[in-house]
Amino acid sequence: MIDITLGQYFPGNSFLHRMDPRVKMVLIFLYIFSVFIPQNWVGLGLAVAFLVFVIILSRLPVKLIFKSIKPIIPLVLITSALNIFYISDGTTLFKWGFIQITTKGITTASFIAIRIICLIAGSSLLTYTTSPTTLTDALERLLSPLKVVKLNVHELAMMMTIALRFIPTLIEETDKIMSAQKARGADLESGGLMQRIRALIPIIVPLFVSSFRRAFDLATAMECRCYRGGEGRTRMKQMKMRVPDYISIVVVLAFAAGLLGLNFIFKSVL
Amino acid sequence: MPIIETQGLSYTYSPGTPYKKDAIKGISIKIEKGDFVGIIGHTGSGKSTLVQHLNGLLRPTSGKVLLNGRDIWENPKKIREVRFKVGLVFQYPEHQLFEETAYKDIAFGPSNMGLDGDEIDKRVRTAARFVGLKDELLEKSPFELSGGEKRRVAIAGVMAMQPEVLILDEPTAGLDPKGRDMILGQIAEYQKENGATVILVSHSMEDIARTTKKVLVMNKGSVAMFDETQIVFSRAEELQSIGLSVPAVTRIFMQLRGMGYNVGDNAYTVKQAVERLLPLLKREVGNND
Repeated sequence: MIDITLGQYFPGNSFLHRMDPRVKMVLIFLYIFSVFIPQNWVGLGLAVAFLVFVIILSRLPVKLIFKSIKPIIPLVLITSALNIFYISDGTTLFKWGFIQITTKGITTASFIAIRIICLIAGSSLLTYTTSPTTLTDALERLLSPLKVVKLNVHELAMMMTIALRFIPTLIEETDKIMSAQKARGADLESGGLMQRIRALIPIIVPLFVSSFRRAFDLATAMECRCYRGGEGRTRMKQMKMRVPDYISIVVVLAFAAGLLGLNFIFKSVL
Repeated sequence: MPIIETQGLSYTYSPGTPYKKDAIKGISIKIEKGDFVGIIGHTGSGKSTLVQHLNGLLRPTSGKVLLNGRDIWENPKKIREVRFKVGLVFQYPEHQLFEETAYKDIAFGPSNMGLDGDEIDKRVRTAARFVGLKDELLEKSPFELSGGEKRRVAIAGVMAMQPEVLILDEPTAGLDPKGRDMILGQIAEYQKENGATVILVSHSMEDIARTTKKVLVMNKGSVAMFDETQIVFSRAEELQSIGLSVPAVTRIFMQLRGMGYNVGDNAYTVKQAVERLLPLLKREVGNND
């Protein structure tokens, strides 16, 4: 239970870890959009190469990146398969009844597979190198223009931060309660469905009680420190854009422009 | 044969991640039947991790736990039986209460053991008596009870399983002095009456000095000392060097000796101190006459 890595933040001190989270977030979104620009193999190759470059910059273990891709493999396979069977243009390689495999089908399928993998690996880079609280902070800043339409961005971000902050605590709490009930011989592993559901009552009731207790405690603690919403609130850690952030922006923009340019130079294979 | 024995017990939390932590390292101890053992150590010294191995809640990364000479992980499917023999009361056990009445909550353990109704009833009432819960409280919802009463219900819930070994992790944490004295007294009484083996994890040197026969001192995941209570507290300098204190009376005795008074051996409970100091005081008074 305790092994669940939440928000999957992987602490470190790489270039990516130190980037301004707002810039990082926007640039990764930009990268994800750019992955859909290339219409030719050279462009797609460049997109993959760029991702590999950023992964190396992040100094994350490669194993972690594969771990993030693993759960979406079925999705990749299904979409690829659908494309292979669906597209009937191009040279036919194989035909059996209504099933037909063409060169174009295979190309499209590979493009989609590679794009999805880049997309997931790219976004996991964001969560691996940014702690959840920093992430919500950055989100609050990025969404702050929405105040104009009377959206209370600060409260939303605060709720998200609190929720994220308490997930590990609640996991720990669940773990403790489970251990305590197991120590009294609670059997959580065997029996039929109904029996298993009933076995959860000794876990859920105390968990509920303690969540409410925690919520009240937190509310009191926040009030004691004169919390009254986002108005006029300053921060200890100011987000600040530095030279490396500006360089990153230029590099990613150049990368996206390059992909667009390659589309004109090389013939589309799609 | 010791009732509980550990051989080279080690446990690592979250292995293979940056959060990896060796909680306990190579612990080998023997606890005899009928012993009353105290475990002391700093926060994070591995006390709680150690006791969770003794009833099979945690599976050692390496090493063994023997209960009556048999490896408790010999057959992982039967680990529940180990938990009935080695009862563990967690820190703040009142947080685990869930039933509609205190009675039903105490009965949770015994009914998991598959006992029949009469036996369960007998055990619930015996356990409730041990922790000093009145009959009318048993029919109340555990959430209506006071903090101290909740704690006692939770302790009774483990006692009702009548385990051969009873382990209590900080049973007095957060209680007022009166509540603390009561619970410690009841545990001592339970131990005496049933001849049970009791292990008491505590931060409080006073609690340990007053109740236990032997003390296990943990430091950074290893055993620093494991000996008779008296012997452990006589090594006050060593205890202080690992950041633990000795009972306040022992400190007073050490200071008296430092000031040149011949007070004899260290005392580690107030009762002992009184016995040791009274004759000395009388003699002093006699000399002055």
